[in-house]
Amino acid sequence: MAAVTPHRRWFLSDHPAPWLLPLVAILVVFAIYPLIYNVWLSFHEYASFRRRVEYVGWANWIQLFNDPRMWSSLTVTFIYFFAALALQLVLGMALALLLDADEPGFGLLRGLLTLTLVIPPAVTGMMFLLMEDPQFGVLSWLLNAVGLLTPATPILATPSLALAGVLLADVWQWTPFMVLIFLAGLRGLPPEPYEAAMLDGASWWTVFTRITLPMMAKVIAVAVLIRGIDLFRVFDYIFVMTSGGPGEATYTLSLYAWQQTFSFIKWGYGATLSLLMLVIVLVMANLFIWLAKVRW
Amino acid sequence: MRWSRSTSVLRQIAAWLAVGVFFFPIFFWVTTAFKPAYEIFNQPPSVWTFDVTLRNFEEVFGISLGFLRQQEVLPGGGNFYMAPRLLDSLIVGLFSTALAVAVATLAAYALSRMAFRGRHHFVNWVLSTRMMPPVAVAIPMFFIFRDTGLMDTHLGLILVHALMNLPLAVLLMKSFFDDIPAEIDESALIDGASRWLIFRRIVLPMAKGGIAATAVLCFIFSWTEFLFALTLTQTSLKTVPVVSSTFVTSTGTAWGNMAALGAVAMVPAFIFILLVQRHLVRGLTLGSLKQ
Amino acid sequence: MRDHDRKLFLASLTDRYVKRQIDRRSFLRSAGQLGLGLGAFGLGVTRPFGGHFTPVAHAQDLRPDPDVLAWVREVSKPFAGTTLKLATESTPPSNALNSQLKQYFEEASGIKVEIEVLPLEQVLQKLTLDIASQLGTYDLYYIDQSWAASVSRDVFDPREQYAAKPDLAMPNWNIDDFLPALVDGICVYEDRWVGVPYDIPIFIMMYRRDIYEQLGMSAPTTFEEYLRQAQRISAETDLYGATGQMKSGHYSLECDWTAWLWGHGGSIFNADRKFSGNDELGLEAMAYWDQLYKTMPPGVTTWTWDGQGQSIAQGVAATMMSWGEFFPYFDDPSATKVSGLMEAVRCPAPVRSLRTVEETGFGEIPGVGHQGGSSLAVSMNSKAPDAAWIFMQWVTCQDTQVLITTLGGGTGPTRNSVYDDPRVIANNRVGPGTTRHLNVVRETIAKDMGSEPDLPEWAELSNDTIPVRLGKYFAGDYGSAKEAMDDIAKAVDGIVRS
Repeated sequence: MAAVTPHRRWFLSDHPAPWLLPLVAILVVFAIYPLIYNVWLSFHEYASFRRRVEYVGWANWIQLFNDPRMWSSLTVTFIYFFAALALQLVLGMALALLLDADEPGFGLLRGLLTLTLVIPPAVTGMMFLLMEDPQFGVLSWLLNAVGLLTPATPILATPSLALAGVLLADVWQWTPFMVLIFLAGLRGLPPEPYEAAMLDGASWWTVFTRITLPMMAKVIAVAVLIRGIDLFRVFDYIFVMTSGGPGEATYTLSLYAWQQTFSFIKWGYGATLSLLMLVIVLVMANLFIWLAKVRW
Repeated sequence: MRWSRSTSVLRQIAAWLAVGVFFFPIFFWVTTAFKPAYEIFNQPPSVWTFDVTLRNFEEVFGISLGFLRQQEVLPGGGNFYMAPRLLDSLIVGLFSTALAVAVATLAAYALSRMAFRGRHHFVNWVLSTRMMPPVAVAIPMFFIFRDTGLMDTHLGLILVHALMNLPLAVLLMKSFFDDIPAEIDESALIDGASRWLIFRRIVLPMAKGGIAATAVLCFIFSWTEFLFALTLTQTSLKTVPVVSSTFVTSTGTAWGNMAALGAVAMVPAFIFILLVQRHLVRGLTLGSLKQ
Repeated sequence: MRDHDRKLFLASLTDRYVKRQIDRRSFLRSAGQLGLGLGAFGLGVTRPFGGHFTPVAHAQDLRPDPDVLAWVREVSKPFAGTTLKLATESTPPSNALNSQLKQYFEEASGIKVEIEVLPLEQVLQKLTLDIASQLGTYDLYYIDQSWAASVSRDVFDPREQYAAKPDLAMPNWNIDDFLPALVDGICVYEDRWVGVPYDIPIFIMMYRRDIYEQLGMSAPTTFEEYLRQAQRISAETDLYGATGQMKSGHYSLECDWTAWLWGHGGSIFNADRKFSGNDELGLEAMAYWDQLYKTMPPGVTTWTWDGQGQSIAQGVAATMMSWGEFFPYFDDPSATKVSGLMEAVRCPAPVRSLRTVEETGFGEIPGVGHQGGSSLAVSMNSKAPDAAWIFMQWVTCQDTQVLITTLGGGTGPTRNSVYDDPRVIANNRVGPGTTRHLNVVRETIAKDMGSEPDLPEWAELSNDTIPVRLGKYFAGDYGSAKEAMDDIAKAVDGIVRS
């Protein structure tokens, strides 16, 4: 082995520390510190009259569990989360299967599909707000024309439809992301099982459920994890399109936390809501990682 | 699987239709950029035919598109002059991507090649830093930035966007490294090369495509991020998503101008996506296919 | 109608007018319907938003007074090189200031002015964060009247500034020129002035003259008449009789509500500082609103002022009792289909006599003309309060406000003298940036103005508590208006007490 200068010894050894150091340093400053800060904040509240943050003990945490707004926004968050995830999974898988071909034109189609990802979600929200406008929107007009919606029904102001109206923007924007992940998975599958199935004359559905799905299980799990983490924090679409309305029909936890923090300067309660969200996601994600046997 | 000719044609049609449905909002948005106000609010909505104007682009980018010019554009632009904001977005996007990819690549190599106790949990921890709601990060960041002078600077936003992208970048890079057989490293180690040398001379060049794919995703997430960019900037820089909201005025929303900025802002990110599409389609499994 | 056809039609119309086949009145009306108001002739296509259309008053008149600039030059000498920051809502005056006028100030003073133009909610966010952190990023605050109470102790009282710094005081700035009603409604909190009135969007009645002529109606004088007219328009024409800004959870919904509430003799708070929107008069107002709501386009519950204005501009609805700020925009033929067709009058008279300020709580002033004005003030956290004070005086002085009014598209001035300025009166014609509604605005401020209560919790009540529940009501989530208002009462009283 060649002689090395002492300061390079660490890079020589198989010790991961120097490799991970920059990552850990950034995460400690920008992720651990905010976490501690939020925990500290959740026991304090900004007293607007005295212009300073004051200790309030467990008040925020007690309020949290007696807050009907929190429970309703938690419900909405979960509905949004599961609906969006399910739709994006199913649609994403269907599209990936459809586009997993090498025939001419499919490369272009895959490229066009990814266009949705480069639009800022805040702008996507505005786009769909315009398209779903009951008076001027192209989408409302289309739905009216085919008779799915009466002109008297404003999508984003009808309690039963508003969430669907917001979900539409989310599903439109992120389904292509799922397609990318699934395509990556499908392209990496070994061809042998398919050849065997062909010889047996298995139907398309059998092939999909017996071969593709089981082999894709891990890919799907990772997709659920990555997308789920972001979905739980959904903010931009709702903020832009409905402000949580009508009433509280689309009012999510992240919007609640945002409003408490920025609109009403209740930093303590905002931090408490954020921590609640963090705890829920942490528990769900870890449970999922354990159940789906994801190993990194 | 072999497809009969008729199913192949059907599949072609279905694929074009499906992508067409997804593409329609973009088509509509881009055409909105070319519409004067009365066309945007036409009833029924004008989809295929409409009067064309370049006015929205002239205002947003402060240029005169000579032969079609309808009115003098103010020097320095009006309120909707956003061209410098594209540059801000580009600076933040490129540098935060570079930082995130550099840090993530180093870490991912170690995570891919070196077995150590708690590696699985370490990756989980890295991933969990993405679970924090942005609101919860924004307030402490605001105070850190106030005290360090990073407020309203490119550097500040670059750091935060890099942080935001690190978890995904680490996972992605790890999966790309996992695709490269570890035997290569091991034989080089036996030949006396150092880890650092192997990383720089052998593994990194082999993972070029993966790095490109990771970089593009990081860039897109930075390019489209709203909340941090809103909270941590004031007047000296603004990114595209933030200025997009300034088209909402007290006497109406300038949809045409907003769409013009949006349409142009799609271009750089989309070019990057197309360039690395091949690698994206390979690597986005995040290592879940390896056994 | 395509542009080409429009031009052809206009040519024949002009021809007939010249040959005396039609009279001047119908010529102008038809031209207006074509989207070519008087002011548009020879001016090309113009727009309201960009803030750089050509106003009718002669361009050379629309420059700052050299005397004023000379003062700025003189007094700013010690502050050259300073940078001032201001975050403001994207309103016509702020846009005019930002894109056209501030350069004159910068040139004369050597002070750089950075104006951050944002939607209203984001301005509130920036402002509260700046105050809470005492960062002093912004030297001047743009303060919506609904936030005045919460920021009152973080800004200088302009009267004190004027007195304390005689060397920086602008000669003839004349603080008494600000309309007293606006000072009272926008600025005064307890015994302090939270800045000076900067702009004033206020509810006036706007209606389609052509539709009213067609149905043989004249502008409504009472609430009852207005409702009947709206119902008739909905029934007998293709248009909707009224429109609204009724997006759930948005401040605009609260604004609409107060107009109907005050107009029925009700108030938000009673003298005991308890919510009183659920009393008998409050419920009467809800019943009225319910009926009027039926004459509005189905989109109103998704619209803020944005969609509301658009519904008039695109010829969907025929009347609107809302922000006068919209009126000049309606007259712009390049953006709307109703140029020259709109008329402005005072809001219809209230159903019964209004409550007095003594009968309400927190300084609430009942009135059918809901004001949504804002003030401009120097932040106490500013690191350059003197330079900011010079800029503030310049922005709010008579000469600058005249320019803001004309260049900013006929927005409502807050100074008495500006309404009488010849440059403002010169724009009193059909066309973009018109000022032909300003007499109505002036009268409304003097006689009809309604103003929201001043209390630190008001930002939360008006942006969340009330409009979220009203939104629920219009989405059908409550059994009755009474149930909804009782629920609001409970929530509001809970927040105010705590």
